[in-house]
Amino acid sequence: MDNNFLVIENISKSFGDNKVLENINLNISKSEFFGLLGSSGSGKTTLLRILGGFEKPDTGRVILDGMDITNLEPFDRPLNYMFQSYALFPHLNVFNNLAFGIKENFTQKETEINVRNIAELLSIEHLLKRRIKQLSGGEQQRVALGRCLIKKPKLLLLDEPLAALDKKLRSKTQLELTTLQKKLKITFVFVTHDQEEAMSLSDRMAIMNNGLILECSSPEEIYENPKSLYTANFIGIANIIEIYKKDKNFYSDNLGINFKLNKELKNTKTNILLRPEKIKIQSINNLKTSSFNSFCGEILEKSYLGSFTRYEIKINNMIISVLDQNFNSNSNYNFLKGEKVICSWESESIKILED
Amino acid sequence: MKNKLFEKYFVFSPYFWLVLFFFIPLAIIFKISISVSEWGMPPYQDIFLFDNGFKINTSFENYVYIFSDYYYIGSFVNSLILALISTIFCLVIGFPLAFYIATSNIGLRNILLVLVVIPFWSSFLLRVYAWKIILQNNGILNVILLNLGITSEPLQLLYNQYAVIMGIVYTYLPLMILPLYGYLNKFDLNLIEASKDLGLNRFKTFFKVILPLSVPGIVAGSLLVFIPVVGEFIIPEMLGGSDRLYYGKILWEEFFVNRNWPGASALAFSGIIILVLPIVIFQILYSRWSQKNEI
Repeated sequence: MDNNFLVIENISKSFGDNKVLENINLNISKSEFFGLLGSSGSGKTTLLRILGGFEKPDTGRVILDGMDITNLEPFDRPLNYMFQSYALFPHLNVFNNLAFGIKENFTQKETEINVRNIAELLSIEHLLKRRIKQLSGGEQQRVALGRCLIKKPKLLLLDEPLAALDKKLRSKTQLELTTLQKKLKITFVFVTHDQEEAMSLSDRMAIMNNGLILECSSPEEIYENPKSLYTANFIGIANIIEIYKKDKNFYSDNLGINFKLNKELKNTKTNILLRPEKIKIQSINNLKTSSFNSFCGEILEKSYLGSFTRYEIKINNMIISVLDQNFNSNSNYNFLKGEKVICSWESESIKILED
Repeated sequence: MKNKLFEKYFVFSPYFWLVLFFFIPLAIIFKISISVSEWGMPPYQDIFLFDNGFKINTSFENYVYIFSDYYYIGSFVNSLILALISTIFCLVIGFPLAFYIATSNIGLRNILLVLVVIPFWSSFLLRVYAWKIILQNNGILNVILLNLGITSEPLQLLYNQYAVIMGIVYTYLPLMILPLYGYLNKFDLNLIEASKDLGLNRFKTFFKVILPLSVPGIVAGSLLVFIPVVGEFIIPEMLGGSDRLYYGKILWEEFFVNRNWPGASALAFSGIIILVLPIVIFQILYSRWSQKNEI
């Protein structure tokens, strides 16, 4: 696969004294669905706007399909940008919004055929004569998408593509968006602050914080093996345990537990990550001997989430979160607040956070 | 119940205002315009005479007179052309300014808005008079031009139609900028970026996106400039010469120099009808159009 379809090289950008992006480097492959995930102020939207040509970087280059586009105007770039607000033209109907970018280069007949095709692809044929104000949020999102896709861009940039939709519609649209992207094989780069959205849409994603890219990998890799403390905390729920070297083993003061690590460590002190769903809990009464590390704790809080129940369990001086899948429909199988339980986990579930 | 009644009257209060200060004076002017003129105070005869029984004493001679003499029609046409040219100038100068103000950051925006409004704080008469000082033969502008050697003789800048247009554009520019700013302020700048992203350059983006979406502001500003300029008296009087006669001046002379109240009233009434009727029709068509287009 062509790994250098979109190359972002040493991009930096400041607004006054405020450094928004610092030395960003990214390689994105052709037909990849790439996510930029970060909290607000992380610089992710600025990076996307630099790709779109709406901001000029202070340093660095953007190369798309072998062409340096850093200094090109937005209207000269072979890419399109879908705005978070959709930015549909209120004075034009759906047909003319879709045709806006191609009218100049095509005859009226060609334009009409193109618009019909894209409308069919997005199932909005029945809306073509409508005004923008007469559309629902989901319909507007499709028109915005269609208006970009009709240009057959090499790269589509999407700013928070689903943020304006309600939750039910969002998950449906997520699925449609990935299907569409795989079908059209257009490279998508999108920005989001929603980790679920980033995980479900992206082939690969980059975690941004304070103008830096902290990590860039597949969603699975980032969730299971985060490299930094920030990423571990940012994605999903994380139990972060501070450990230090004691004799040959590592020891957590708060938990009062010894950890055996398979890996050699540079530092004598580090953090480890234990995801809450990796922890198994059993009632202290029907304890079966197991090869797991098993520790006794007390349930402080519990919240029922439907498919899971989340427990806050106190082991020694530390409170850890546990997600327990609700296998049984009988609520008696749930543990009670104040109950003493045995927590256990496989030693492979422990991930070392080096940064 | 009481509240509802209050609301009803409150809503209609602008119409009371309109009736009191527009329709009633208009009716009085109409009444004078169809009276028979005479020497005296007031310089016209009553319409209703009760000397030897009831008699209606009217004359439409004034209307016949003003519409048969090109002196009057010509001055009105001159005023219409003046208003049109001035409005176009105000629009061409005012639009970029309003757009710049609307899209600059809040601090700068407030300063610029104050700068637009500041001229209103001084007397209108003084400001027009100041232009007289700037433009006269030994005025500031001519002195500068002479000293720079651009011209060897003072230029005749004052007392012609160009000085009038300049004075009007200068005076009425804020009336164009402010309503335009009001609309452009709400303009979603993403629309401009979206247009560029879809391949339209700055020029095409202006004509396909910015201009069509600014129509309400352009209409409001243009009407605010056009209508008063048609009847403008002071600026042509102070800066204009004898090369062109304007409606406002003719009206003044007819009233106060010739003391021909019925004739002047006929002129004023015709002017209002000629001006207001097309504008009312335009407004009705325009509001239908904008409702259809949801701008």
